[in-house]
Amino acid sequence: MNLLSVRVRRILGITFSALAAVSVQAQTEIAKELKADMNRAAGMFYTRTVDKSHKDTPPPAGKKPFYINHYGCPGAYYLDKPEYYTDTYAIFARADSLDKLTPLGKDVFRRIRVLCDDAKDRYGELTEKGAQQSRNHVRNLVERFPEMFTAKGYYSVRSIVENRCILTMQEGLLQLSAMQQPLVARSRVSYQEKPFMNPDDKQLTDRRLDSLTNIRYERFRRLNSDEGRLMGALFNDQNYVITHIDADALSRQLFVLASDIQHTDIAGLVTLYDIFTPQEILRHWRKQNAWHYINYGGCTLNGGYQAYLQRALLRNMMHMGDSVMKRDNPLMHLRYTHASVVLSLVCLMDLDGYGLHTENLDSLEAYGWANYRIAPLGGSIEMIHYRSEKNDPDVLVKVLLNGHEARLPVESDCAPYYHWRDVKRYYLRKLYRYENRRFNSNAKKK
Amino acid sequence: MKKNKIRYLIVTLLTIHYSLFTFPFASAQPQVMQIIKKTPSYASCNYHIYPDSITATLTPSPEGKKPFYISHYGRHGSRYISSRSGYDIPYMMMQEADSLDELTPEGQRVLSEMKVIMRNTENRWGELTGYGKRQLQEIGQRMAERFPEVLCPGATVSGVSTVVPRCIESMGACLMQMLQVCPQLKVTMQASQRNQWYMNHQDRTLRRYMTPEAKKAYDAYIAHRLGNTRLMELIFKNPDIVKEVVDEEQFSYYLMKMGLFQLNINYNQSTYLMSLFDTDDLYLMWQIDNALWYIQHGACKLNGGRQPYSQRYLLRQLIADADSCIRLDRPGAQLRFGHETVLLPLVCLIGVNGFDLETDNLDELEEKGWWCSSVFPMGCNLQFIFYRSHPKDPDVLFKVLLNEEEATLPLTPVSGPYYRWTDFRQYCLDKLSKFQ
Repeated sequence: MNLLSVRVRRILGITFSALAAVSVQAQTEIAKELKADMNRAAGMFYTRTVDKSHKDTPPPAGKKPFYINHYGCPGAYYLDKPEYYTDTYAIFARADSLDKLTPLGKDVFRRIRVLCDDAKDRYGELTEKGAQQSRNHVRNLVERFPEMFTAKGYYSVRSIVENRCILTMQEGLLQLSAMQQPLVARSRVSYQEKPFMNPDDKQLTDRRLDSLTNIRYERFRRLNSDEGRLMGALFNDQNYVITHIDADALSRQLFVLASDIQHTDIAGLVTLYDIFTPQEILRHWRKQNAWHYINYGGCTLNGGYQAYLQRALLRNMMHMGDSVMKRDNPLMHLRYTHASVVLSLVCLMDLDGYGLHTENLDSLEAYGWANYRIAPLGGSIEMIHYRSEKNDPDVLVKVLLNGHEARLPVESDCAPYYHWRDVKRYYLRKLYRYENRRFNSNAKKK
Repeated sequence: MKKNKIRYLIVTLLTIHYSLFTFPFASAQPQVMQIIKKTPSYASCNYHIYPDSITATLTPSPEGKKPFYISHYGRHGSRYISSRSGYDIPYMMMQEADSLDELTPEGQRVLSEMKVIMRNTENRWGELTGYGKRQLQEIGQRMAERFPEVLCPGATVSGVSTVVPRCIESMGACLMQMLQVCPQLKVTMQASQRNQWYMNHQDRTLRRYMTPEAKKAYDAYIAHRLGNTRLMELIFKNPDIVKEVVDEEQFSYYLMKMGLFQLNINYNQSTYLMSLFDTDDLYLMWQIDNALWYIQHGACKLNGGRQPYSQRYLLRQLIADADSCIRLDRPGAQLRFGHETVLLPLVCLIGVNGFDLETDNLDELEEKGWWCSSVFPMGCNLQFIFYRSHPKDPDVLFKVLLNEEEATLPLTPVSGPYYRWTDFRQYCLDKLSKFQ
């Protein structure tokens, strides 16, 4: 008994020290990443640089790709809610008319006017940078997997009914068309695809912010909010701030505007990051990151199942993987949907450990769960299937997450390549366990 | 009831009267009828389908000049019906009649066909069909093949679309195909609320097109053209009883539309509903719709003839774009993708092929060739092709293609289909300045 407890204590001790070591390392890593490119603090609104920096591990001898299943986020776009621009503008206009702005406040007001003008009547629209991201992405795919993109290839292309996703899809198709003639690409934009590409599940999403989760998030938010300095820098009358301004909301709006500039043509000409300290930027990112984790990830506060919203997508992925096996020619499924869908899919698939389950919102940074790493604008998941010949019983897959080879929660003797039968078994069991559990719990309720 | 009976009688008599009097002169009068006989979709006006191939040839370039710029406004390709309400009207009536056990066996079959159509269209309201995508691809391909001087390697092609998904998809399909013909084109796409003011301008004041005079004339025009007693007898056991729940005029009109819409779809196409109607039915419906489109978008004197001016912003933008592009060495092409409710008034405003016809007599439309189906089928388009000898050539000529066939303008041509740009520009600006 004593021996056992000593062993347990020892194991626990090792685990904790390992965790602590990891956390210190990861913390610095995220802070380093944010420092290297402040735009990352935009989280899911980070405009990912789509470049050719990623290297491919050579596949095991004789294996060649024959199927790519791709899920893409829209490229960079203007904020879809006009209120971000107009409400902020109204707050500053009012304060200005009452002469409550400091010189910095006046300058920020001027900059907000520029942002408002730039975004007017473009809310939610794909920007030129977003278009370029999509084209670069397709070009990279074609250059990385030349054996897939031949005249024999077939492209089945889908988008949800959302203009920025449709345009991201069309831009990708233009790139394909310019690179390959003849081209057989069949695209479709339909509400009929919604059940698996952007589903609703009220039973699941109703739980997102139950009272416990809400209390914990509020606490986390308060601990990461201190807007006094910023308000003092922008307004010359703190009594006015207290009586007329929701400092938390205004600070958040300003931060959202600051991080959205990167998508537009005026990036480099105007900034709003300078009004925040690096610590404040980190805190804003933290709050947003925790929010995304709660809503789309494996946060155990609300049960840990939110990512299962995308189970139909994962099931479709498994189904298609089997269904394409006997095809003679390369096939590409290019699908475009919301970034939040891709985020949940990554968490559900537990790619690179992003399936993380914890209730401790403070630990996300230590675990490296960062929204900008998972589903930034222009982000994507590709599952690529390999075989040696048509009847090869051992199909391999590898998954690219935003261009790099991702780690799957499955054993493999040839990672980043995984045996399809293992991958399929793992995910189908995972889905089955969830559905079974849900079925039983619903049955009990009745 | 008595009133209804009298109305029924009058309609029947008028229909008989009509068929007696039109048929002997079939060859002389209804040219449109012959078209509908050959191509039934022509009867559905704005749901008419773009031709699968273009047979018309193009006049060679004016001497010493080459095409250097294309300006275009086109409609999206074939689509599904944009909302379920159009299908719901006849469907609800059928359901009601069915619940009263008033459907004949033929009526039962009609109802089950309607159910199939409704099911196939569910969640596809307004969606571009595969057929529609192909229409746009072919239009893009032909444009690139017909004008290689403009759409050559390195040329800029800018696509602008309204913010409606089917238009964005149409733009994508057209541009993709152009790249297949010439992969080195520099293509950009845009679908922004910012351009809506000219790409899809809906004029609030002009929307009140049905003035009392117009309504009087329209009601008189359609009075003897509505309804379909043969259809009622075919579908319902007791048309008299059913009349309490089925509005004959609306029922036959919308059922016909439902059938005609099917022609826009390649797969799961249900042609059964079309077999319920004969050419006469379709022709009458075409007349009704054509008159309504004229009142809505034509230079109809009954409501002041101002309707085409709804597209004044677009016309000014076309002129401004052309003015600035003419100054460039290689302007390439500007393609715009929108809707039929824009293209038709634009064609009427410019006066392409005599569509600027001004009249207060709806009966004149047909004989004077104001046939809206010829202007705005799904995929319809207006292309301005500009010609000059070199970038400094001040004498810029152009021609207009309506649905890829050379068209006339209300001006004196320089030669054949070619007009002088400055003449046209002045003509349009003068006309626009008259609009208050």
